[in-house]
Amino acid sequence: MEYFNIFIKSIFIDNMIFAFFLGMCSYLAVSKTVKTSLGLGVAVTFVLTITVPVNYLLNKYVLEPGALSWISDSLKGVDLSFLSLIMFIAVIAAITQIVEMVVEKFSPALYNSLGIFLPLIAVNCAVMGGSLFMQQRAYDNIGEVTCFALGSGIGWLLAIVGIAAIREKLRYSHIPPALKGVGITFIITGLMGLAFMSFMGIKL
Amino acid sequence: MSKNKKLFTTPLLKNNPITVQVLGICSCLAVTAQLKPAVVMALSVTVVVALSNFIISLMRNTIPPRIRIIVQLVVVSALVILVNQVLMAYVYDVSKQLSVYVGLIITNCIVMGRLEAFAMSHKPWESFLDGVGNGLGYGIILVILGFFRELFGSGTIWGYPVMEKLGMYKIGYENNGLVIMAPMALILVGVIIWIQRSKDKELCEK
Amino acid sequence: MKSGGLEMKNFSNKYIFIYAAALVAVVAVILSVVAMGLKDRQQENVRNEKMQTLLAAINVATDRDGAEALYKQYFTSELTVGTNGEVVSEYDIAADNMVKGEVRAFAINLKDEQNKEKSGAKGAFPVYLFQKDGKTGYVIPTQGNGLWGPVYANIALDEDFNTVVGVTFSHDSETPGLGAEITTEKFQAPFIGKQILDESGNVVSIAVKKNADPNGAHEVDAISGGTMTSNGVSAMLGDDLMRYQAFINNMLQGQAVEAVAENAADAPQEEANEKEVSNE
Repeated sequence: MEYFNIFIKSIFIDNMIFAFFLGMCSYLAVSKTVKTSLGLGVAVTFVLTITVPVNYLLNKYVLEPGALSWISDSLKGVDLSFLSLIMFIAVIAAITQIVEMVVEKFSPALYNSLGIFLPLIAVNCAVMGGSLFMQQRAYDNIGEVTCFALGSGIGWLLAIVGIAAIREKLRYSHIPPALKGVGITFIITGLMGLAFMSFMGIKL
Repeated sequence: MSKNKKLFTTPLLKNNPITVQVLGICSCLAVTAQLKPAVVMALSVTVVVALSNFIISLMRNTIPPRIRIIVQLVVVSALVILVNQVLMAYVYDVSKQLSVYVGLIITNCIVMGRLEAFAMSHKPWESFLDGVGNGLGYGIILVILGFFRELFGSGTIWGYPVMEKLGMYKIGYENNGLVIMAPMALILVGVIIWIQRSKDKELCEK
Repeated sequence: MKSGGLEMKNFSNKYIFIYAAALVAVVAVILSVVAMGLKDRQQENVRNEKMQTLLAAINVATDRDGAEALYKQYFTSELTVGTNGEVVSEYDIAADNMVKGEVRAFAINLKDEQNKEKSGAKGAFPVYLFQKDGKTGYVIPTQGNGLWGPVYANIALDEDFNTVVGVTFSHDSETPGLGAEITTEKFQAPFIGKQILDESGNVVSIAVKKNADPNGAHEVDAISGGTMTSNGVSAMLGDDLMRYQAFINNMLQGQAVEAVAENAADAPQEEANEKEVSNE
């Protein structure tokens, strides 16, 4: 039940876009059509679900204060937490690279649809943010972390596909010229965020 | 000199990283519920963009293109860690408020964007100015947002209870809690873009 | 200088490897030096902030820099107690001396101890003794979950271990204007004078609920619109205070001193024994 709670919470309540504004850059840049935004959303979910658990293990067994004590007791006092930012981004960059190569080799069809997005993802704040929130919120075990990562990814996917669908319709609306494009997208995202706030009442 | 001056001033308004280039939105919205964290964040980003632009520009001829991105990431994240450590040591309260968003400067598109678009092909001093300009352009929007959100959301400016001193509560004024919340930040940015673009028609999208 | 010559240059694999290794080494050295250099200051900040919140619970306002001096002035000793009421460690603040045990209550991570209890192991929970206006009292720290993240409280109790004399709440990420209101005077003030024990001395805690009776000894008003946070606070106080039941019983019956002496006799700590003898 705990896993399910975390999963639902990270999709709707702690939504990466609406509650934390993470991954806004690609969210604004790629949300012009539903098809491409679906591709990016799947790619982000995929990378989040892999990198966050890997970073969790890295944090737990290497970076935390006293984390190295599994090697020998004399390393108990070592605190490498100041390196966490650089390690997390390195892991994310490496994994996106590996994923890109693996997908290219084994599934050219998938690569054609996802491939162009993968390099973008290394610098997507939602992915980095996922790892940082994981560290800050101190989840108990790797199962919870995976649920959180998967949920956050799906939440992000939901948000970008939603806004893309709205933007496709918006093309036929009369919008003040100064508000066209980015301006109206911001305001609509705000309104969607307001709607998502009603999920706060869910009792989990 | 006038060219250098231009490097510095265009990102402030005409080519503002947030409202025109639409980069670095993530952190800009999350830290602006109050003015103080907004200012600290703006300064941190300015320092990181300027220094990383400078360093990468110094190194630009020695960086093997194949590992270009990772070299940039390493330099940027090292700088961000330094900033983070300094904040934790000297302005602890603010660093707690900024929480994960300091770390997210690494993936702030402004930083990587300027490195790729400018520092890799310009001299160190020009790159430094470009970095400062972009950092401050980002900062202006943060300060505007922080000012209005703190004023209308909590009735204070930099922690000073303005609304209370003006006697607004006595005549029935209430703070608008919604302004502090996430969605309102997005709508405010939308409004800022709207205002800027209606003043400057060139920026409008077709 | 003409730039843009990047594409023309050919870098050998050897060069790339050496370049990457050198870069990583330089960065690692710089970061380690800075992190070591600033570490003391950072830890001092964290420590002082903790002292500041403990002082706030006994209504002593201070800024962070002044916290340490005032902490030493008002607080006399730090205990950690197990759920069977035994005193695990004791630290004399004025003398800067571990009287018993090894770990200072101050250094304890409450979440770790809670997890230990959850998984069946034995935790040790902190109690801070203070002297104010000639009266002794106890501060008990608690930690639980609000709507978004952890919420914390320090409860200061009178020497009868029952009446609340002060309280501070803090949180990491509750909703501003709703759940975050737990840090305001409006929410905290009603706690003062409430009681955590019922007539027969059982811990019943203080419930945070809607339309609470202002004269009820065990309830205070919830925050309107912050139901989840209020429930979290209620559960936190209930769970955490309950852990001190056995300790409170001991203290109220004056048995704690004996328990301390018994345990101290096992450990070869001369000073500890001396102190206990003088107590008796």
